[in-house]
Amino acid sequence: MSEQELHPNVEWIAREARRPVVLGAGARERLLDAIREEPLPERPSRVEWFTGRRRVALSPLVGAALAAGLVGIGVLAGRFSNDDGRDRDDRTAVGQPETVATAPSGQLPSNTDTVRVLKFVLVAPQAASVSVVGDFNGWDAKATMMTKTRTGGTWSVTMRIPAGRHLYAFVVDGKQWMADPSAPLAPDDGFGTPNSVALVGGSSS
Amino acid sequence: MGVQASNVTFAPWRWVIGSDMNDADDVRAVLAGDVDAYARLVDRYYDRCARYAVRMLGNRDDAEDALQATFLRAYRALARYKEQDKFSAWLYRILVNQCRSVAARRNHRDKVFIREEALLLNAPDRDRMWSGEDEEFVQRVLAELDPLLREAFVLKYIEELSYEEMATLTGVGISALKMRVKRACDRLRDRWERIKDE
Repeated sequence: MSEQELHPNVEWIAREARRPVVLGAGARERLLDAIREEPLPERPSRVEWFTGRRRVALSPLVGAALAAGLVGIGVLAGRFSNDDGRDRDDRTAVGQPETVATAPSGQLPSNTDTVRVLKFVLVAPQAASVSVVGDFNGWDAKATMMTKTRTGGTWSVTMRIPAGRHLYAFVVDGKQWMADPSAPLAPDDGFGTPNSVALVGGSSS
Repeated sequence: MGVQASNVTFAPWRWVIGSDMNDADDVRAVLAGDVDAYARLVDRYYDRCARYAVRMLGNRDDAEDALQATFLRAYRALARYKEQDKFSAWLYRILVNQCRSVAARRNHRDKVFIREEALLLNAPDRDRMWSGEDEEFVQRVLAELDPLLREAFVLKYIEELSYEEMATLTGVGISALKMRVKRACDRLRDRWERIKDE
């Protein structure tokens, strides 16, 4: 669809709406006062995050999956809703997704009580790049790039993840941020894109 | 349309999603404990965010709420901002989401500016000077759009973003955004024509 030439009346509306606006008196000062009352934002320590031991409570379903040696995360199945600003057209950016089976973590080594190995999988045949972002890698879209299989459009990466509850998402082509439709959605954190939740067991016994 | 005495020469600026070394410096300063550096970030983006919030929400009270929530959330989460990303784009993404949340919470019919439809009867005059009534008219016709269409229209033709930038901010596909913009334009044009015929 090419960009349309605006009807003169619509162009007038847009032009008028581009004028600056002024909020109520003192709005900016109230905002700055509120910020000054906030504690200083702190950088999280990644080292501490990855090495710290955590006690986690697992849901019965996740516990059963872990007991069977199965941890499946990261399947693009394409559930979008209008409520969060996404619709089915979004899927065209990465091609028609399909459900795939994820590799069980039981195939992979797991060395400690507090670290597990998870395989993230995303089907995105038309994507040029896919990465996984989460609290475990500082939400850095370039930190954990996924690898595409030789055939098909499946992207995957295997990571060592500390036990606990983690939020994560996928970033397609470096810019399209999407939750994992096959996993529970995290509560809205106000950053404009939904995240998924992974519960990772903390005990190997 | 009403005409006021002031002859304002208005040079529209657009939201530039670009790299700004000052932003990165200020973010580092805040994280190092310099709260005043955040005031510089607020100053840099406050007006632009205010315009988007007002156009999306239709009134200044809700817009102020959305702005306060946006800048507070950004402050609390500043450690999540990565310098290789554009601070403006990161902030704007939060703003877009906050406006969605505020709009969803309220009964916007109680909040939008309502003016007599007689305001709409005159055709636009390109040489006309700025009028507060015009703004109320603009707010009204925008408020009548479906929120998703309004968001797409505001980002495209008021904030003047590219579709690629819009997709990055909203997480919506480009084809869907183009469709929303087209529908928004069609409905604005139809609305205008209908009012003229009434």
